[in-house]
Amino acid sequence: MLPLHHLSAIQIRDAFLKGDISAVQIVHHFLSRIESYDDALGAFLSVLNARVLLKAEALDKKRARGLPLGKLAAIPIAIKDNMHIQDEITTCGSKFLAHYRAPFSATAVDLMEKEDALLIGKTNLDEFAMGSSNENSAFKPAQNPWNLQCVPGGSSGGSAAAVGARLCSIATGSDTGGSIRQPASFCGIVGYKPTYGRVSRSGLVAFGSSLDQIGPLTTTVADAALTMEVIGKQCDYDATSLDLPAECYPLPKELEPGTVIGVPWHFLENLSASSRQNFEEVIRVLKDLGAKIVEVNLDLLKHSIAVYYIIATAEASTNLARFDGIRYGVRPPECKTLEEVYDYSRRMGFGREVKKRIMLGTYVLSAGFQDAFYKKAQKVRTLIINAFDEAFSHCDAVIMPVTTSGAFEHGAIHDPLEMYLQDIFTVPANLAGLPGISVPSGYDSRGMPLGLQILGPQMCDVSIMQIAHAYERATQHAKIPEAYG
Amino acid sequence: MANFDHQTLEYLKKLCRIDLSKEEERDIEVSLTRILKYVESLKDVNTDKTKTCRYILRGMLKNRMREDEIKNLLSREKFLENAPEQIGGMVRVPPVLKGSS
Repeated sequence: MLPLHHLSAIQIRDAFLKGDISAVQIVHHFLSRIESYDDALGAFLSVLNARVLLKAEALDKKRARGLPLGKLAAIPIAIKDNMHIQDEITTCGSKFLAHYRAPFSATAVDLMEKEDALLIGKTNLDEFAMGSSNENSAFKPAQNPWNLQCVPGGSSGGSAAAVGARLCSIATGSDTGGSIRQPASFCGIVGYKPTYGRVSRSGLVAFGSSLDQIGPLTTTVADAALTMEVIGKQCDYDATSLDLPAECYPLPKELEPGTVIGVPWHFLENLSASSRQNFEEVIRVLKDLGAKIVEVNLDLLKHSIAVYYIIATAEASTNLARFDGIRYGVRPPECKTLEEVYDYSRRMGFGREVKKRIMLGTYVLSAGFQDAFYKKAQKVRTLIINAFDEAFSHCDAVIMPVTTSGAFEHGAIHDPLEMYLQDIFTVPANLAGLPGISVPSGYDSRGMPLGLQILGPQMCDVSIMQIAHAYERATQHAKIPEAYG
Repeated sequence: MANFDHQTLEYLKKLCRIDLSKEEERDIEVSLTRILKYVESLKDVNTDKTKTCRYILRGMLKNRMREDEIKNLLSREKFLENAPEQIGGMVRVPPVLKGSS
């Protein structure tokens, strides 16, 4: 058998089910990889050694007794540290929650544990999931396993680095403006953002509630599909959770005959040379697989970043009002009045990017400016949704690169606006609630991974997963970075 | 559209209850000025006849009503474990009304 970390999540599970390996052996293998590599990589904020070993021992006993085993049996999974695992710390990458112990588990986490997943640790992220580089983590930056000088992307940078370096088989992420797809692309793995409402947000620390969606980061499309079968379920604790039966994700080998794929060429004019070359190669492959390629007009998407940074910060300023030092946080004895408690905890608890976004969000919602900014943005959002509707009346899926270029170096982007513009290809899916997947599509001239993004109409999670699977099967770009083989 | 200046920043600090160091203040003022200038580009988009987006899941989202019944989802003890200060099974807060103790 290949070393365990060369196997996909499904292969690990099947080896466990066949009795080739025990859950405890699997856990030891991945814990020792974390031990060896994570000091340099910074992917984890906490490793749940004792907890995961207990779970693994219990799972081995369950197998020995011949009891039925779950769909995720013995798969080592990491959880982004903005999702709760009951009785464990959820920091959200913020000093504010450095000691916050989750009183319950997120629904997605619960569903995975019910299917016998082994939760191995909590992964690093930009504070409150606000960032595109993981450099906004209050604790430490995570690094890119393909080149430690480069960022892993954000905000689910720790999850992407962990799966990219094969320190676990699957990690969860949350995607508000690209926070699953962009780091997955930067780290050479698969990242899936479901249709808004497909996965319950209960137990996810809220950032932009009309945009946030939980999804998996994996090494193969099939592993992402498997995770979705488990977590894509209606939930009573999330009022926006879709009231639909859980989907199955059959993945045929071939592209469905007659598949039409739209390319918004005009919107893509600012691609770097190597990204453009890579994207043209992607189109050639899809044509070879039998897809019909058509041009679609999505020029309006050039306004996505402006719309997104108004709506996301407005929602964040509201969501983050709950961090007031009353129900959780630190309260030093010198804070005697209510105002002193608020001011102290928000001053000490929040990092600069979070403060900036709360202030921007408050500004665009404030009296006198709401019509010009927030309401205007929500109107343009309607137009963007309509533009996608029109595009999808001509095609089954829209493709574009995940990012304008491969991962950039740490500290390379100082200007906040330039950093925000990194998300230009990923935020549209969040604005329109669409499912989107990032699949490895090759490497740039520096050897850094690039990704193909496939977007589909709302609810069409299964069909874009199928297109991604056919593309992945034809290209096989995913590989393990040499240093982690 | 709007003119973002130091006075606006002071007003926002109060609204958000966020205190800033001098260095943070300079940085945030410059950043927000730049970002607001950028998002002003939206005024070029004609939205005269466009409705404000309220729900992105059109036709899929329903109000789900339920009975108002007590379920034991989170115990008082568990909730209070994260509270900075507690008294008699409740979260302790500083006096809210002036003159109270």
